[in-house]
Amino acid sequence: MKAVRQYLDFFRSERQRLEAGSLPLLNAQREAAAAALERLQFPSQKVERYKYTDVEAAFAPNYGIELTPQKPADTTEKHSLEPEKHSPATVSPSHPEALSHYATLTDVNADAITALNTMLVQDVTVIYAAPGERKEHPVQITRTLQATAPLMQNRRLLIVAEAGAELTVILTDKAVAGQDFLTTQVTEVFVGEGAHVELYDIEDTQERCHRFHQVFAQVTAGGHLTHGVFTLAGGVSRNQTDIRLTGEGAAVQLLGCAVLGGTQHADNNTLIDHLAPGCTSRELYKYVVDQQATGAFAGRVLVREGAVQTDSVERNANLVCTSQARMWTQPMLEIYADDVKCSHGSTVGQLNDDALFYMRQRGISETEARTLLKQAFASEVLNEIPHEALRQRLHVLVEKRFRSCENCQLCK
Amino acid sequence: MLEIKNLHATVGDKEILKGIDLVIRPGEIHALMGTNGAGKSTLSNVLVGHPAYTVTEGSVTFHGKDLLALSPDERSHEGLFLSFQQPVEIPGVSMVNFMRAAVNAKRKYQGLDPMDAGAFLKLMREKRKIVELDNKLTSRSVNEGFSGGEKKRNEIFQMAMLEPSMCILDETDSGLDVDALRIVAEGFNKLRKPETSAIVITHYQRLLDYLKPDVVHVLIDGRIVKTGGPELAAEIEARGFDWIKKEELGQ
Repeated sequence: MKAVRQYLDFFRSERQRLEAGSLPLLNAQREAAAAALERLQFPSQKVERYKYTDVEAAFAPNYGIELTPQKPADTTEKHSLEPEKHSPATVSPSHPEALSHYATLTDVNADAITALNTMLVQDVTVIYAAPGERKEHPVQITRTLQATAPLMQNRRLLIVAEAGAELTVILTDKAVAGQDFLTTQVTEVFVGEGAHVELYDIEDTQERCHRFHQVFAQVTAGGHLTHGVFTLAGGVSRNQTDIRLTGEGAAVQLLGCAVLGGTQHADNNTLIDHLAPGCTSRELYKYVVDQQATGAFAGRVLVREGAVQTDSVERNANLVCTSQARMWTQPMLEIYADDVKCSHGSTVGQLNDDALFYMRQRGISETEARTLLKQAFASEVLNEIPHEALRQRLHVLVEKRFRSCENCQLCK
Repeated sequence: MLEIKNLHATVGDKEILKGIDLVIRPGEIHALMGTNGAGKSTLSNVLVGHPAYTVTEGSVTFHGKDLLALSPDERSHEGLFLSFQQPVEIPGVSMVNFMRAAVNAKRKYQGLDPMDAGAFLKLMREKRKIVELDNKLTSRSVNEGFSGGEKKRNEIFQMAMLEPSMCILDETDSGLDVDALRIVAEGFNKLRKPETSAIVITHYQRLLDYLKPDVVHVLIDGRIVKTGGPELAAEIEARGFDWIKKEELGQ
């Protein structure tokens, strides 16, 4: 039986309970989403954007879905980046003007994971900044997966920054060990004219987690979006990031860092769509792939007709540390406009033996030398993070990750 | 202190060292001269344990220990230091983190606690003055964007931090202008203790004018063919190597 069947059957049989605890706005989208999923089925690896990740295998197990509405536990998280600060942002669906954006950037007919999420999602987290509003402190949402049986979660996030607003959102995913988890997440981001949004997504889960996250963002004239996705620990992670630059002078910065060990798999699939003149995009993804891990990067930059004076740089650099580790990389650039400045490229390499020996001659052990070189490699992308406190924190987390990986039983 | 007996070594399947015998006592400075490709750099690489070289015969004893049985980092902890002919650039690894890792690794080997940050930075400041190394350089990534002269000065700075008992200077004078050469050589002289020994690999007399070797060896085709006092270096500077090849090898 195909994996998609159990989700469609679940929806048909539990629809009433699902809708009873949810918003009419979300319920209104379910039928079309279910029809789309029925038609699309889960993408096989013959589908271009899914060729590096086996969706069928990830969704085949029988996960439980919690149907009782969940309340956020505590807004002052202990593991918070800046624990002394309370978030002043509104994290509730109390902005009707924001909710009108729901499901307007997504197309259930174009993507099965998005369709599945729209069919089953129970609530939406809205982060809203009014015109000209500048949120001084970042909104951080930490979600910890914890269950006594295999669990699936479908999450939905809506971020709206009106004209001239400034907003930073930090998402942190954690999970308790020893359990199977599956999450889908669809995030829609609206960056108004001249607005500035930073969205960071940090995954620090475990090897039995499967994660399918889609980001759909629209940046209007003069707006700026930074999106960073950092994979520190996990099982199978697929992150899809689709950015539309729709107004003149819009800018996007995509950052990614994946530290992979054990049998981890991380697949980042991005699309930057230049639809207006004078837009800027910067994309840098770096992977350190160790042990038997696999990494994949596919990044497409599309410069549409009329998107003159586009300025785009796309780069993916990868360090493959063992002969069993694998990396797939596919930078793509399509240009249909004149007068543009675009570059794209990728590299796959190993640790520099000369540097390794130089360090050992100075008395640094091979393990320590390798750790320092891996950290140095990752630090290039971490240094690009505009948010200073997060930048420093991620340097520490990545160092910890490299150090534990050298010692942990799993990775030996 | 260092005793090399009948050392043979290959890189790939090519034999480069064909039986080296050399004894260096505490405090002695030995100059190693010779034609290009004679095996001078191979000898230094073999001594510090470069993985590209294979020892096929012979032995090396250092402070009474079997040097060839030790890993490159252990050899460093035992007091062996190579000033690289071409120091490696390591983007993203700061000089401070690099040096701290090196100094603390040695301290751990010696059974000492790691140095605290304040004491370490003070030590860095003191030592970099000796080789007149700019503060800006020690705050950068290892050798990244350094000029040729700065890289060599940085080698001597690292030597100052690690206080080795045996230094190998592999063409430390190559690519240096007259002033840089003086700073590097005087730095070395200021740093060395009476019991510090060195192997100085060079093509030129000028470095030896500063370092004043006790013994000069000529290495040709993987063997030491002639050994003499400082006057031998002066003679090579004047006459080249052909006369030695004729005299010693009958070529």
